[in-house]
Amino acid sequence: MTAVLLIESVMKFAIALFSAAHAPSSRRALLFAQAALAGGHEIVRLFFYQDGVYNASGSVVTPQDEQDLPKQWRNFVTEHQLDGVVCIAAALRRGVLNEEEAQRYQRETVAVGAPWELSGLGQLHDAVQDADRLICFGGA
Amino acid sequence: MSTLHVLSHSPFGDERLSSCLRVIGANDALLLSGDAAYALQPGTAPFSALHARNLKLFVLAEDAQARALQVPDWAEAIDYPAFVELSIHYDKVNSWL
Amino acid sequence: MAKSLLIISRQAPWSGPNAREALDIVLAGGAFDLPIGLLFLDDGVFQLANEQNAKALQQKDLSANLQALPMFGVEDLFVCGESAATRGLDPENLSLEEAQVLTAQEITALIDRYDQVITL
Repeated sequence: MTAVLLIESVMKFAIALFSAAHAPSSRRALLFAQAALAGGHEIVRLFFYQDGVYNASGSVVTPQDEQDLPKQWRNFVTEHQLDGVVCIAAALRRGVLNEEEAQRYQRETVAVGAPWELSGLGQLHDAVQDADRLICFGGA
Repeated sequence: MSTLHVLSHSPFGDERLSSCLRVIGANDALLLSGDAAYALQPGTAPFSALHARNLKLFVLAEDAQARALQVPDWAEAIDYPAFVELSIHYDKVNSWL
Repeated sequence: MAKSLLIISRQAPWSGPNAREALDIVLAGGAFDLPIGLLFLDDGVFQLANEQNAKALQQKDLSANLQALPMFGVEDLFVCGESAATRGLDPENLSLEEAQVLTAQEITALIDRYDQVITL
């Protein structure tokens, strides 16, 4: 009997997250992302849009007995050196500002820092063009 | 072309499941995640609708388990690695956000 | 060849920032000359109702943005006839004349034609 070696091709994923850190879909997005990497695939970009921007906020304080998604996302992106982009327009509207924007708009609170980058929707489109698959998480 | 549709809202008092079923194609599949798993609650209209449709139906195992929902033999419970595989097997993923 | 992206907009115009943020994705794609399609489905068809008055809610009127879509190179505009009809809207008399009215079957085929889709 011949042994057949199956070489699965490496797929490039773009993962977009639309819901806040406390939403179950945010946890699902992270678990999917982890499984994608564990499966030998690539994540070309993580894009946080709408309430997804809250996952990048350093101001979120999660109850001790719950999953700290912002921290888990931060660790995940840092550990795997992923491109974590937060939509700037969505972030501004929701008060998730980095230092530059806080200065620009004269706001007191800086909520986002490394590894998160605030950028435009062009980055989402770029990721969609580059990736083999776009997976969106959000809603509930 | 084939699409993996993903639902995550409860089908009760929400239109996503019925709209999805209106437009889902013959080569497509449906993954129930989060509260959408409640569509597998027996004796309900969503349960009957899904059973009658005879489509490729998946449910996230953790969501069925958390809600003590039996997974009928016409649906398949999957984990995250299988979710990743499904997203590759189908040409694209349409999450009903 | 650029990958095509279909945006399915399902929310009513002033149910939070959803309608606007869906449109922003479309406009950004158009600005980058990408093949983008926009389908109004379920409550999304309310975005195309005539004689709306955003000012009454101190909200932004998205009609102007919608009318500008062809100028941004986004001409593939669609509306679900059934969604409109069940909501008491005449599918042939909506605010966006360029939007093609589709049946459920045609929507199935539409989704199939695009490389990627975002439904929000």
